[in-house]
Amino acid sequence: MVSITDLKKISDYEWEIPVSYRADMRVPVRIFASETLLKGISRDKSLEQAVNACALPGLVGSVKVMPDMHQGYGFPIGGVAATRYPDGVISPGGIGYDINCGVRLLGSRLSYQEGKSYLGELAIALNQFCPSGVGIGGHHRFSSKEVENVCRKGSRWAKEQGYATEQDLRRTEDGGQLRGADPRFLSPRALKRGTAQVGSLGAGNHFIEIDLVSKVFDERAARAMGLNEGDLALQIHCGSRGLGHQVCSDYVKSLQNAVNKYGIELPDRELVCAPMDSPEGEAYLAAMACAANYAFANRQVLSHYAREAFESVLAGRVKDWHLHLVYDVAHNIGKIETHQIDGKSMEVCVHRKGATRAFGPGLEELPPEYIKIGQPVLVPGSMGTSSWVLRGTSEAMERSFGSCCHGAGRVMSRSQAKKTIRGEDLLKQLKRDGIKIQAGSMAGLAEEAPGAYKDVDTVVETVTSAGIAAKVAQLKPLVVIKG
Amino acid sequence: MKRVLKKSAELCILKVIMNERLAGFKEQSHTADLEIRVWGEDLDSLFSAAADGMFYLSGIEDSEEGFSSVKESISLDAMDYEGLLILFLEELLYRLTEDYMLFSIDKISISTEFSLKAKLRGTQIRSYQRDIKAVTYHRLNIRETDQGYEVNIVFDI
Repeated sequence: MVSITDLKKISDYEWEIPVSYRADMRVPVRIFASETLLKGISRDKSLEQAVNACALPGLVGSVKVMPDMHQGYGFPIGGVAATRYPDGVISPGGIGYDINCGVRLLGSRLSYQEGKSYLGELAIALNQFCPSGVGIGGHHRFSSKEVENVCRKGSRWAKEQGYATEQDLRRTEDGGQLRGADPRFLSPRALKRGTAQVGSLGAGNHFIEIDLVSKVFDERAARAMGLNEGDLALQIHCGSRGLGHQVCSDYVKSLQNAVNKYGIELPDRELVCAPMDSPEGEAYLAAMACAANYAFANRQVLSHYAREAFESVLAGRVKDWHLHLVYDVAHNIGKIETHQIDGKSMEVCVHRKGATRAFGPGLEELPPEYIKIGQPVLVPGSMGTSSWVLRGTSEAMERSFGSCCHGAGRVMSRSQAKKTIRGEDLLKQLKRDGIKIQAGSMAGLAEEAPGAYKDVDTVVETVTSAGIAAKVAQLKPLVVIKG
Repeated sequence: MKRVLKKSAELCILKVIMNERLAGFKEQSHTADLEIRVWGEDLDSLFSAAADGMFYLSGIEDSEEGFSSVKESISLDAMDYEGLLILFLEELLYRLTEDYMLFSIDKISISTEFSLKAKLRGTQIRSYQRDIKAVTYHRLNIRETDQGYEVNIVFDI
C-alpha cells in the first residue's frame, strides 16, 4: 500500500511517486491533489492502481492522477496515461467499460426568474422524453446495419437523422466522430446490444440536470460559451451503453493472449494491452472508436429529446426556450494526440479514465469560438451539489497531457452509502433545498448521495490552483433526472 | 424471485456458519464498483456461488414464477480457470441484460483442461435493479485454501 511518506512534494498541489518506488515502474506517478485530498486518496487502493499503470510499455512522461481520483479496476478512476504512438500500447482497461462516458452542457437564454414556475413541468417532461433507468432502451430499435452507421459516423449520423445541428457537431470533442471507427471489429453481441439503446440514459451515476448558472468567474469565456449568470442550463451525463461495455469486455478478454505474444509483463490482468501497431491493438482502436461514436450519437439524440421536452413545456409561454450546446467532452477514452514530451513534439495515445480533455487556447482541434479562451471543461458535481464549467490552459498542455478532473470522485462505497443514507430521507433533503428529483429507484438514489462523494468545490479549487484549468462558471442544480 | 435469492443468500451465510467447506459469497467494500468474495469446496461449487453472487448484486426483483422455465446447456473453453470464470459470468450476464433470463445451475462440471459444461434452468424475469457493466479481471486470482477454493471478483457498475 502506497503511503503519503512515499510521495515527493512538487508543489502544494502536485506530488510524485518516483520510479524507485517499485521495480516495474517505467515512469513516475504525478498526483494533482491538495494535502487534505491526498489523505483521503491514500485510504483506498487508487495510488497502488496508479503505480500498476506505470508498468505499461511505451509510457511517456508520467502517469497523471487527478484530485477526484478513487479506486477503480486496473487503472484508478481519474488516471491519465500517454503511450508513444504507434509502438506503445493501448489498454482497454485504461479506458474503461463505459467507453466515451462523457458530459455535455447546453446553455439557454431563459432566466431563472422567467423559467422557475415551469421547473416542475420540465422535470416531468424530461423524464418522459428522455428514456432512463436500468435495462431501459431508447424510443427506437435499429437494425444492426444502422447501428454500424451510428458507430461509423457518431454525431454526424444524428445530424443526418435530424437530431443535431452543425453547431452541435462543431462543439463536440472530435466533432462527435472519432476517426478510424470500423464496425467489422465489433462482435455480433456488441452490435446486438446497440440496436435498442440509441438515445437512452441508463442508470447508475448517469443523469440529466437543469442547472442555474449561479456565478460567472470569467466573463469573456462565459460570453463565448453563451452562459449568463442567472440563466438556466442543462447537463447530460451518459455513455455508450451496452455496446461499449461489450466492446471493452470482448477486448480485455482477447488481449489476454496478446500480452503473452508480445512478452508484456503486467501486475494486473485488467491492464492487458497490445502495441497500437499490432493487429490486436489496431482492432481494439477501431472498435473503441465505434463505441465512442455510439456514445456521441447517444448524447446527441438525448439532447434532441431534451430540446423537445423544453419546447413542449415552454413554447408560447416564454420568449426563448432554445438550448444551445456549449460543449461535449469524453471522460473515458483513448485519443491519439500530439504533445510536447521533453521539448519534442510526439504523437501519443492519451488514455483518460475518469479524466477530461482540457486543451488550452490556440489549438486547432478547438472550434473557432473557443480558440482564444481554451476548451470548455465540464466537471459535474455529485447529486444536489454544484457543477463547474472550467476552461483548459496552456499549463495543462505542459503538465497533464491537456487533461483535467472529471467530477467529484467517490469516497464511500455504495453499500456504505445505502447503510448511512436512506433514499427517502435524501429525497426530502433535496426537496427542502429546492431541487426537483425524478429517480428510478430509492436505493440507487442513496448510492449517489452527495455524502458518498468528495466535495467538488475542493476538487475544482485544486485543479485551478495547480493551473491545469481555470474557472468560468459555477452551476447549481434545480432539477435532476436519474435512471 | 427476490425472496428466493434473499433466502439463498441467507442460506449461504447459514451454511458458512455451519460449515466453512460449503460454497457462498460475501460483498466486500469497494469505493466505486462492487466486489464479492466467493468460496467453494471445489471449482464447480465456486463457479455456482459466483453466479449466485452476481445475480444477488443485480438486485433481481421478481419473476414470472413458473411462466417461462427453459432448460439450456452451455459449453465454454478458456486458457485458465480465471478466464473460464469470466466467460461463464459474462454469459449469464448477457442473457440477463439482453433476454431478461435468470439462470440457475442444475449441474456444472469443470475440467482440468479449462472447459466448462453446465446444465441451466432459466426463468423469465420482469426487471432487475442494477446494471452490471462488466465482470473485470482486476486482481482476479482463484486461490486454493484449506477448505477448497476462493476468489475475489470486481464488477464494474
